[in-house]
Amino acid sequence: MLSSLFFLAAAEDGADAGKAIALALGIGLGALGAGVGIGNIFGSMIQAVARQPELRGELQGIQWLGFALTEAVVFYGLIGGLLAYVLV
Amino acid sequence: MKRLAALLFGLALVLPSVALAQEGEEEDKGAFISEEWELHEWIPIHLGPIDMSINKAVAYLLLGALCSCLIGIVLMRVKVGRGPTRRQALGETIYEVAQVQVAEQGLPTHAIGRWFPYVASLMVFIWTVNMLGFIPLPLSDEKVTIVGVELPTLAIFAATSTLSVTLALALMTFVFTHVEGIRANGSWNYFKSWIPEVPKVMYPLIIPLEILGQFMRLISLSVRLYANMLAGHMLILTFVGLIIVLENVFLAIVAVPAAAIFYLFEVVIVVSIQAYIFAALSAIYIGSAIEPEH
Repeated sequence: MLSSLFFLAAAEDGADAGKAIALALGIGLGALGAGVGIGNIFGSMIQAVARQPELRGELQGIQWLGFALTEAVVFYGLIGGLLAYVLV
Repeated sequence: MKRLAALLFGLALVLPSVALAQEGEEEDKGAFISEEWELHEWIPIHLGPIDMSINKAVAYLLLGALCSCLIGIVLMRVKVGRGPTRRQALGETIYEVAQVQVAEQGLPTHAIGRWFPYVASLMVFIWTVNMLGFIPLPLSDEKVTIVGVELPTLAIFAATSTLSVTLALALMTFVFTHVEGIRANGSWNYFKSWIPEVPKVMYPLIIPLEILGQFMRLISLSVRLYANMLAGHMLILTFVGLIIVLENVFLAIVAVPAAAIFYLFEVVIVVSIQAYIFAALSAIYIGSAIEPEH
Protein backbone atom coordinates (compact mmCIF):
# COMPACT_ATOMS: atom_id res chain seq x y z
CA MET A 1 0.00 0.00 0.00
CA LEU A 2 2.75 2.43 1.03
CA SER A 3 4.75 1.80 -2.12
CA SER A 4 1.73 2.70 -4.24
CA LEU A 5 1.39 5.97 -2.33
CA PHE A 6 5.01 6.83 -3.04
CA PHE A 7 4.48 6.13 -6.73
CA LEU A 8 1.54 8.52 -6.76
CA ALA A 9 3.42 11.18 -4.83
CA ALA A 10 6.42 10.96 -7.17
CA ALA A 11 4.22 11.49 -10.19
CA GLU A 12 2.94 14.80 -8.85
CA ASP A 13 4.69 18.04 -8.20
CA GLY A 14 7.13 18.02 -5.27
CA ALA A 15 5.34 20.75 -3.34
CA ASP A 16 2.01 18.99 -3.68
CA ALA A 17 3.56 15.79 -2.39
CA GLY A 18 4.99 17.64 0.60
CA LYS A 19 1.61 19.17 1.33
CA ALA A 20 -0.09 15.80 1.11
CA ILE A 21 2.44 14.21 3.46
CA ALA A 22 2.11 17.08 5.96
CA LEU A 23 -1.69 16.94 6.00
CA ALA A 24 -1.71 13.14 6.32
CA LEU A 25 0.86 13.28 9.14
CA GLY A 26 -1.22 15.90 10.95
CA ILE A 27 -4.41 13.87 10.92
CA GLY A 28 -2.44 10.72 11.70
CA LEU A 29 -0.94 12.26 14.84
CA GLY A 30 -4.41 13.45 15.88
CA ALA A 31 -5.73 9.94 15.44
CA LEU A 32 -2.83 8.59 17.50
CA GLY A 33 -3.83 10.60 20.55
CA ALA A 34 -7.50 9.76 20.24
CA GLY A 35 -6.65 6.09 19.72
CA VAL A 36 -4.77 5.97 23.02
CA GLY A 37 -7.64 7.77 24.75
CA ILE A 38 -10.38 5.54 23.36
CA GLY A 39 -8.37 2.44 24.22
CA ASN A 40 -8.07 3.72 27.78
CA ILE A 41 -11.80 4.34 28.07
CA PHE A 42 -12.85 0.91 26.85
CA GLY A 43 -10.10 -0.80 28.85
CA SER A 44 -11.26 0.89 32.04
CA MET A 45 -14.88 0.06 31.19
CA ILE A 46 -14.04 -3.65 30.80
CA GLN A 47 -12.20 -3.63 34.13
CA ALA A 48 -15.02 -1.82 35.88
CA VAL A 49 -17.68 -4.20 34.54
CA ALA A 50 -15.51 -7.21 35.38
CA ARG A 51 -15.29 -6.04 38.96
CA GLN A 52 -18.87 -4.91 39.41
CA PRO A 53 -21.11 -6.30 36.67
CA GLU A 54 -24.26 -4.80 38.24
CA LEU A 55 -23.05 -1.26 37.46
CA ARG A 56 -22.94 -1.87 33.71
CA GLY A 57 -26.06 0.15 32.88
CA GLU A 58 -24.94 3.21 34.80
CA LEU A 59 -21.42 3.06 33.42
CA GLN A 60 -22.50 2.73 29.81
CA GLY A 61 -23.80 6.29 29.56
CA ILE A 62 -20.57 7.72 30.94
CA GLN A 63 -18.56 5.44 28.66
CA TRP A 64 -20.22 6.69 25.49
CA LEU A 65 -19.94 10.29 26.68
CA GLY A 66 -16.21 9.84 27.18
CA PHE A 67 -15.89 8.01 23.87
CA ALA A 68 -17.52 10.82 21.90
CA LEU A 69 -15.60 13.55 23.71
CA THR A 70 -12.30 11.78 22.98
CA GLU A 71 -13.18 10.84 19.43
CA ALA A 72 -14.00 14.45 18.63
CA VAL A 73 -10.30 15.28 18.99
CA VAL A 74 -9.57 13.53 15.68
CA PHE A 75 -12.18 15.63 13.99
CA TYR A 76 -10.72 18.87 15.31
CA GLY A 77 -7.54 17.68 13.63
CA LEU A 78 -9.48 16.91 10.47
CA ILE A 79 -11.05 20.39 10.42
CA GLY A 80 -7.62 21.90 10.96
CA GLY A 81 -6.31 19.85 8.05
CA LEU A 82 -9.19 20.92 5.82
CA LEU A 83 -8.59 24.57 6.74
CA ALA A 84 -4.90 24.20 5.93
CA TYR A 85 -5.77 22.51 2.64
CA VAL A 86 -8.16 25.29 1.64
CA LEU A 87 -6.07 28.22 2.85
CA VAL A 88 -2.56 27.21 1.73
CA MET B 1 4.83 -16.00 -1.67
CA LYS B 2 1.48 -14.60 -0.62
CA ARG B 3 3.05 -11.25 0.20
CA LEU B 4 4.77 -11.10 -3.15
CA ALA B 5 1.48 -11.82 -4.88
CA ALA B 6 -0.23 -9.08 -2.85
CA LEU B 7 2.54 -6.62 -3.74
CA LEU B 8 2.33 -7.48 -7.44
CA PHE B 9 -1.45 -7.17 -7.30
CA GLY B 10 -1.12 -3.75 -5.69
CA LEU B 11 1.38 -2.62 -8.29
CA ALA B 12 -0.84 -3.86 -11.11
CA LEU B 13 -3.64 -1.75 -9.67
CA VAL B 14 -1.48 1.33 -9.32
CA LEU B 15 0.78 1.37 -12.37
CA PRO B 16 -1.84 2.15 -15.02
CA SER B 17 -3.09 5.03 -12.90
CA VAL B 18 0.39 6.58 -12.70
CA ALA B 19 0.70 6.37 -16.46
CA LEU B 20 -2.73 7.93 -16.85
CA ALA B 21 -1.92 10.67 -14.39
CA GLN B 22 1.18 11.64 -16.32
CA GLU B 23 -0.46 11.92 -19.69
CA GLY B 24 -3.73 13.39 -18.45
CA GLU B 25 -4.32 17.12 -18.33
CA GLU B 26 -3.73 19.04 -15.11
CA GLU B 27 -7.15 19.10 -13.49
CA ASP B 28 -8.27 18.33 -9.98
CA LYS B 29 -9.98 14.99 -10.34
CA GLY B 30 -10.98 14.79 -6.70
CA ALA B 31 -12.92 18.05 -6.88
CA PHE B 32 -16.28 16.28 -7.20
CA ILE B 33 -16.02 15.25 -3.54
CA SER B 34 -15.92 18.80 -2.20
CA GLU B 35 -18.54 19.88 -4.74
CA GLU B 36 -20.95 17.69 -2.80
CA TRP B 37 -20.96 20.38 -0.07
CA GLU B 38 -21.58 23.32 -2.38
CA LEU B 39 -25.10 24.53 -1.75
CA HIS B 40 -26.93 25.88 -4.79
CA GLU B 41 -30.06 27.96 -4.39
CA TRP B 42 -33.19 26.11 -5.41
CA ILE B 43 -35.76 28.74 -4.44
CA PRO B 44 -34.04 32.10 -3.88
CA ILE B 45 -35.48 34.10 -0.98
CA HIS B 46 -33.55 37.24 -0.08
CA LEU B 47 -34.80 39.38 2.80
CA GLY B 48 -32.56 42.42 2.51
CA PRO B 49 -29.07 41.25 3.44
CA ILE B 50 -30.36 37.96 4.87
CA ASP B 51 -30.19 34.97 2.55
CA MET B 52 -33.09 32.65 3.32
CA SER B 53 -32.92 30.65 0.09
CA ILE B 54 -34.05 27.06 0.05
CA ASN B 55 -31.11 24.83 -0.81
CA LYS B 56 -30.16 21.20 -0.36
CA ALA B 57 -29.39 21.51 3.36
CA VAL B 58 -32.63 23.40 4.05
CA ALA B 59 -34.62 20.75 2.18
CA TYR B 60 -33.00 18.05 4.29
CA LEU B 61 -33.73 20.02 7.46
CA LEU B 62 -37.39 20.47 6.55
CA LEU B 63 -37.66 16.76 5.78
CA GLY B 64 -35.93 16.00 9.08
CA ALA B 65 -38.34 18.20 11.01
CA LEU B 66 -41.29 16.50 9.33
CA CYS B 67 -39.92 13.03 10.06
CA SER B 68 -39.16 13.78 13.70
CA CYS B 69 -42.70 15.13 14.16
CA LEU B 70 -43.99 11.91 12.60
CA ILE B 71 -41.79 9.80 14.91
CA GLY B 72 -43.25 11.64 17.87
CA ILE B 73 -46.85 11.32 16.72
CA VAL B 74 -46.66 7.70 15.54
CA LEU B 75 -44.65 6.30 18.44
CA MET B 76 -45.91 8.35 21.38
CA ARG B 77 -49.62 8.74 20.63
CA VAL B 78 -50.41 5.12 21.32
CA LYS B 79 -53.51 3.86 23.04
CA VAL B 80 -51.98 2.18 26.08
CA GLY B 81 -53.43 -1.31 26.30
CA ARG B 82 -52.84 -4.29 28.52
CA GLY B 83 -50.37 -6.02 26.20
CA PRO B 84 -47.91 -3.40 24.91
CA THR B 85 -47.58 -3.41 21.14
CA ARG B 86 -44.23 -3.14 19.41
CA ARG B 87 -44.95 0.51 18.61
CA GLN B 88 -45.56 1.33 22.26
CA ALA B 89 -42.42 -0.54 23.32
CA LEU B 90 -40.28 1.38 20.82
CA GLY B 91 -41.76 4.69 21.90
CA GLU B 92 -41.14 3.87 25.55
CA THR B 93 -37.54 2.92 24.80
CA ILE B 94 -36.89 6.27 23.14
CA TYR B 95 -38.60 8.09 26.00
CA GLU B 96 -36.59 6.16 28.57
CA VAL B 97 -33.27 6.96 26.89
CA ALA B 98 -34.22 10.65 26.79
CA GLN B 99 -35.42 10.62 30.39
CA VAL B 100 -32.86 8.44 32.18
CA GLN B 101 -29.73 8.78 30.07
CA VAL B 102 -30.02 12.39 28.94
CA ALA B 103 -32.26 14.50 31.17
CA GLU B 104 -31.65 12.96 34.59
CA GLN B 105 -27.90 12.87 34.07
CA GLY B 106 -27.54 16.57 33.48
CA LEU B 107 -30.54 18.47 34.74
CA PRO B 108 -31.42 19.04 38.40
CA THR B 109 -34.72 17.38 39.39
CA HIS B 110 -36.80 20.55 39.58
CA ALA B 111 -35.72 21.68 36.10
CA ILE B 112 -36.51 18.43 34.29
CA GLY B 113 -40.13 19.42 33.75
CA ARG B 114 -39.13 22.57 31.86
CA TRP B 115 -36.09 21.36 29.93
CA PHE B 116 -36.91 17.73 29.19
CA PRO B 117 -38.91 18.64 26.05
CA TYR B 118 -35.98 20.64 24.70
CA VAL B 119 -33.29 18.00 25.18
CA ALA B 120 -35.57 15.15 24.07
CA SER B 121 -36.56 16.92 20.88
CA LEU B 122 -32.90 17.83 20.25
CA MET B 123 -32.04 14.15 20.50
CA VAL B 124 -34.85 12.95 18.21
CA PHE B 125 -34.29 15.74 15.69
CA ILE B 126 -30.53 15.32 15.39
CA TRP B 127 -30.90 11.55 15.17
CA THR B 128 -33.45 11.92 12.38
CA VAL B 129 -31.40 14.41 10.39
CA ASN B 130 -28.25 12.30 10.80
CA MET B 131 -30.10 9.17 9.76
CA LEU B 132 -31.65 10.87 6.71
CA GLY B 133 -28.09 11.68 5.72
CA PHE B 134 -27.34 8.00 5.16
CA ILE B 135 -30.44 7.14 3.15
CA PRO B 136 -29.99 7.77 -0.58
CA LEU B 137 -32.63 10.37 -1.45
CA PRO B 138 -33.37 12.11 -4.76
CA LEU B 139 -32.32 15.50 -3.37
CA SER B 140 -29.13 16.48 -5.15
CA ASP B 141 -27.94 19.21 -7.47
CA GLU B 142 -27.05 16.83 -10.27
CA LYS B 143 -29.71 15.77 -12.73
CA VAL B 144 -30.23 12.54 -14.60
CA THR B 145 -32.71 12.01 -17.42
CA ILE B 146 -34.91 8.93 -17.13
CA VAL B 147 -37.51 8.36 -19.86
CA GLY B 148 -37.44 12.01 -20.87
CA VAL B 149 -38.01 13.29 -17.33
CA GLU B 150 -35.19 15.16 -15.63
CA LEU B 151 -34.82 13.89 -12.07
CA PRO B 152 -32.25 14.62 -9.37
CA THR B 153 -29.79 11.80 -8.80
CA LEU B 154 -29.85 9.75 -5.63
CA ALA B 155 -27.31 11.08 -3.18
CA ILE B 156 -26.38 10.92 0.49
CA PHE B 157 -26.01 14.24 2.26
CA ALA B 158 -26.60 15.17 5.89
CA ALA B 159 -27.79 18.64 6.81
CA THR B 160 -25.70 18.29 9.98
CA SER B 161 -22.54 18.10 7.87
CA THR B 162 -22.82 21.84 7.22
CA LEU B 163 -21.45 24.07 9.96
CA SER B 164 -24.35 26.56 9.89
CA VAL B 165 -26.88 23.95 11.00
CA THR B 166 -24.88 22.64 13.93
CA LEU B 167 -23.82 26.14 14.94
CA ALA B 168 -27.48 27.21 15.05
CA LEU B 169 -28.33 24.24 17.26
CA ALA B 170 -25.36 24.96 19.53
CA LEU B 171 -26.30 28.66 19.71
CA MET B 172 -29.75 27.68 20.99
CA THR B 173 -28.17 25.69 23.82
CA PHE B 174 -25.69 28.52 24.49
CA VAL B 175 -28.44 31.15 24.78
CA PHE B 176 -30.72 28.92 26.87
CA THR B 177 -27.85 28.09 29.21
CA HIS B 178 -27.11 31.70 30.08
CA VAL B 179 -30.72 32.87 30.17
CA GLU B 180 -31.62 30.02 32.50
CA GLY B 181 -28.51 30.58 34.62
CA ILE B 182 -29.32 34.27 35.10
CA ARG B 183 -32.98 33.50 35.79
CA ALA B 184 -32.19 30.91 38.44
CA ASN B 185 -29.31 32.63 40.23
CA GLY B 186 -29.49 36.34 39.39
CA SER B 187 -26.91 37.77 37.03
CA TRP B 188 -24.24 38.71 39.60
CA ASN B 189 -24.29 35.33 41.34
CA TYR B 190 -24.36 33.51 38.02
CA PHE B 191 -21.36 35.23 36.51
CA LYS B 192 -19.53 34.92 39.82
CA SER B 193 -20.11 31.16 39.74
CA TRP B 194 -18.00 30.91 36.58
CA ILE B 195 -14.89 31.80 38.53
CA PRO B 196 -13.41 28.99 40.60
CA GLU B 197 -12.06 29.58 44.10
CA VAL B 198 -8.45 30.60 43.59
CA PRO B 199 -6.15 33.15 45.24
CA LYS B 200 -7.01 36.69 44.12
CA VAL B 201 -3.60 37.05 42.44
CA MET B 202 -4.65 34.48 39.84
CA TYR B 203 -7.80 36.36 38.80
CA PRO B 204 -6.33 38.23 35.78
CA LEU B 205 -5.24 34.86 34.42
CA ILE B 206 -8.32 32.82 35.32
CA ILE B 207 -11.15 35.19 34.38
CA PRO B 208 -10.31 35.53 30.66
CA LEU B 209 -9.74 31.78 30.48
CA GLU B 210 -13.13 31.02 32.01
CA ILE B 211 -14.93 33.44 29.70
CA LEU B 212 -13.08 31.94 26.75
CA GLY B 213 -14.09 28.50 28.01
CA GLN B 214 -17.77 29.39 27.78
CA PHE B 215 -17.34 30.24 24.10
CA MET B 216 -15.19 27.16 23.50
CA ARG B 217 -18.21 25.11 24.56
CA LEU B 218 -20.12 26.63 21.67
CA ILE B 219 -17.37 25.72 19.24
CA SER B 220 -16.78 22.22 20.56
CA LEU B 221 -20.51 21.42 20.62
CA SER B 222 -21.05 22.50 17.03
CA VAL B 223 -17.78 21.29 15.52
CA ARG B 224 -18.08 17.85 17.10
CA LEU B 225 -21.35 17.04 15.34
CA TYR B 226 -20.37 18.83 12.13
CA ALA B 227 -16.99 17.16 11.77
CA ASN B 228 -18.29 13.70 12.64
CA MET B 229 -20.92 13.79 9.93
CA LEU B 230 -18.60 15.49 7.43
CA ALA B 231 -15.85 12.94 8.01
CA GLY B 232 -18.25 10.04 7.69
CA HIS B 233 -19.62 11.22 4.36
CA MET B 234 -16.21 12.21 3.10
CA LEU B 235 -14.71 8.80 3.88
CA ILE B 236 -17.50 6.99 2.07
CA LEU B 237 -17.31 9.34 -0.91
CA THR B 238 -13.51 9.16 -1.03
CA PHE B 239 -13.42 5.38 -1.05
CA VAL B 240 -16.01 5.15 -3.79
CA GLY B 241 -14.41 8.09 -5.58
CA LEU B 242 -10.99 6.40 -5.65
CA ILE B 243 -12.30 4.30 -8.53
CA ILE B 244 -12.91 7.47 -10.53
CA VAL B 245 -9.87 9.42 -9.34
CA LEU B 246 -7.42 6.64 -10.16
CA GLU B 247 -9.46 5.58 -13.22
CA ASN B 248 -9.27 1.91 -12.36
CA VAL B 249 -12.35 -0.31 -12.18
CA PHE B 250 -10.58 -3.12 -10.32
CA LEU B 251 -10.12 -0.86 -7.29
CA ALA B 252 -13.80 -1.49 -6.65
CA ILE B 253 -12.80 -4.85 -5.14
CA VAL B 254 -11.12 -2.97 -2.27
CA ALA B 255 -12.92 0.35 -2.26
CA VAL B 256 -16.56 -0.71 -2.20
CA PRO B 257 -16.30 -3.06 0.83
CA ALA B 258 -14.27 -0.39 2.66
CA ALA B 259 -16.95 2.20 1.92
CA ALA B 260 -19.64 -0.26 3.02
CA ILE B 261 -17.84 -0.88 6.33
CA PHE B 262 -17.61 2.85 7.02
CA TYR B 263 -21.27 3.24 6.05
CA LEU B 264 -22.33 0.57 8.54
CA PHE B 265 -20.08 2.01 11.28
CA GLU B 266 -21.62 5.45 10.77
CA VAL B 267 -25.21 4.22 10.65
CA VAL B 268 -24.97 1.83 13.59
CA ILE B 269 -22.78 3.78 16.00
CA VAL B 270 -21.96 7.37 15.07
CA VAL B 271 -25.45 8.60 14.19
CA SER B 272 -26.98 7.59 17.52
CA ILE B 273 -23.96 8.51 19.64
CA GLN B 274 -23.72 12.02 18.22
CA ALA B 275 -27.43 12.66 18.77
CA TYR B 276 -27.13 11.36 22.33
CA ILE B 277 -23.96 13.36 23.03
CA PHE B 278 -25.40 16.62 21.75
CA ALA B 279 -28.55 16.24 23.86
CA ALA B 280 -26.66 15.03 26.94
CA LEU B 281 -24.12 17.87 26.80
CA SER B 282 -26.92 20.41 26.32
CA ALA B 283 -28.61 19.00 29.41
CA ILE B 284 -25.35 19.09 31.38
CA TYR B 285 -24.60 22.69 30.36
CA ILE B 286 -28.11 23.91 31.20
CA GLY B 287 -28.12 21.93 34.44
CA SER B 288 -24.77 23.28 35.56
CA ALA B 289 -25.95 26.83 34.85
CA ILE B 290 -29.10 26.36 36.94
CA GLU B 291 -27.23 24.81 39.86
CA PRO B 292 -23.60 25.95 39.91
CA GLU B 293 -21.39 23.75 42.03
CA HIS B 294 -20.60 26.41 44.61
